[in-house]
Amino acid sequence: MVLEATMICIDNSEWMRNGDYTPSRFQAQADAVNLICGAKTQSNPENTVGILTMAGKGVRVLTTPTTDLGKLLACMHGLEMGGEMNIASAIQIAQLALKHRQNKNQRQRIIVFAGSPIKYDKKMLESIGKKLKKSSVSLDIVDFGEEDEGKPEKLEALLTAVNNNDSSHIVHIPPGPNALSDVLISTPVFTGDGEGGSGFVAAGPVAVSDFDFGVDPNIDPELALALRVSMEEERARQEAAAKRAAEEGSSQNKGDEQSSKSQDTTMADTTGATAATDAAEPMSEVDALLQQAIALSMQTPASDSAVRDTDMSEANNEDQDLAAALQMSMQEGEKDSSGQMDMSEVLEDQAFVSSVLASLPGVDPNDPSVKDLLASLHGKSESADQKKDEEKAPKDDEK
Amino acid sequence: MSSTATATATAAPTASAIQRSQVDLVDFIDWSGVECLNQNSAHSIANALKQGYREDDGLNVESDADEQLLVYIPFLQVVKLHSLAVKGPEEEGILVNFLCTCPKTVKLYSNREHMGFSNVNDFPPSDTVEFSAENIQAGKPVVLKYVKFQNVRSVTIFIEDNQSGGDVTKVQKIAFFGTTVETTDMKGLKKIEDH
Repeated sequence: MVLEATMICIDNSEWMRNGDYTPSRFQAQADAVNLICGAKTQSNPENTVGILTMAGKGVRVLTTPTTDLGKLLACMHGLEMGGEMNIASAIQIAQLALKHRQNKNQRQRIIVFAGSPIKYDKKMLESIGKKLKKSSVSLDIVDFGEEDEGKPEKLEALLTAVNNNDSSHIVHIPPGPNALSDVLISTPVFTGDGEGGSGFVAAGPVAVSDFDFGVDPNIDPELALALRVSMEEERARQEAAAKRAAEEGSSQNKGDEQSSKSQDTTMADTTGATAATDAAEPMSEVDALLQQAIALSMQTPASDSAVRDTDMSEANNEDQDLAAALQMSMQEGEKDSSGQMDMSEVLEDQAFVSSVLASLPGVDPNDPSVKDLLASLHGKSESADQKKDEEKAPKDDEK
Repeated sequence: MSSTATATATAAPTASAIQRSQVDLVDFIDWSGVECLNQNSAHSIANALKQGYREDDGLNVESDADEQLLVYIPFLQVVKLHSLAVKGPEEEGILVNFLCTCPKTVKLYSNREHMGFSNVNDFPPSDTVEFSAENIQAGKPVVLKYVKFQNVRSVTIFIEDNQSGGDVTKVQKIAFFGTTVETTDMKGLKKIEDH
């Protein structure tokens, strides 16, 4: 996770047309570069990467160090091969580009893809290396492609001149069945001195093994099967509840609330083993809401009724998870049947329920289906109703 | 130019360089920003700057790839620099001038951030000090051009070469003397709490 600015020097000389790396040297190099850009930007969001080409008409900087991965990948398109690689100027220009980086706290690193023969002599490379070392720039060299006499020795000499505390690396990749990028992933070029990149590499296999329930069926098939079965049962129950709720005539909003509330309820079902009868199912959404209200009311004293109404609607829309949690905690404390009984007593208070329903956006208390629902409830005492209403409101205030 | 600098440096009353009210500015160095290019990682700049390390004769800062060193020292507040003391390791023997790894030419740049070896020659130094072998081994403070260092937020020390002309320069102590300028300490500012 070290904060770093990197300049990648790409070899786009004529030697890159060769096909000894599949599909071509240039393509293999491009893949590797894309991977490196991704790895660097991922390991630290403030890392910057820039790209320059070494051959062609001359050394050309495609992008100065930037955090924008899209820009980096885009400038790899449409690159043309030709000419000869000029490694000395390329490294010096890369050093200059790094010197003018915006964030001076970043460490400096140059990655060179040396795929074609090097026409400079060892001394020249060593003096370049020394300059890099003086300015504390690290250098990674990827020696691939053309196997020229003396090329590995020259690059090794360059590396020794630059190397300070093992912050610079060299990788020799001969042509073979493995892709260039695959070989590179395991090297320090990617893993960055042993840290950082290992996170990127680890993310790969973890992401791949993303099973539905976080359990590998290969490891524990019975558990995976049990989880899948219970999930399907849940889904079936939810659909049934949703259907029944839809029948009772709801607007879109209430439907949303109900489906989410029924989700909450079914969650409560699985954890708290509620004996929910069919008749109780349609009421369960309102149950959740009311239980939340009661829980709130258990706590602090009175306030405004207008506030209460708006608070209730907010509570409807926002606190469905809270409602579920409250419901679960309520149910743990008391018997399931008695819980239901309390609910039905509260529901019996028509005035209370209609005020609640009125505050629900989109619910019209005059709707026949709603009226039917209310008709199934008995009345309750006014005083208890008012007390509950008052106590509800401050709870919502606290939120 | 350098000869006149030498003349003023060695002829100046170095004994009275530490005058009344000139303090050692080591306490005002902003350690988080101190940088040294081309230092040997085993012998870092802290050996020459920090209280305690710099008094230890065995601890030096050494150069790495070649004999030059570039040290950047920011200060916690604006200071005026009066004099500079540089001490190199003592070398015994007749060939002291040939073996001495102590710095010779030292250039100072005030208020220039993030200099590199490539742009040290791009602008003139605020002051140049050329040490003789005896001076630098004694580590006596040398008076600087005070007028050039009136408003210093940071100073960059460029050690260009050493006495022997060899590949490694060693410095045992670098100390600045001067005074502070009244500056608001931003860390001391506290937000007034609203009621």
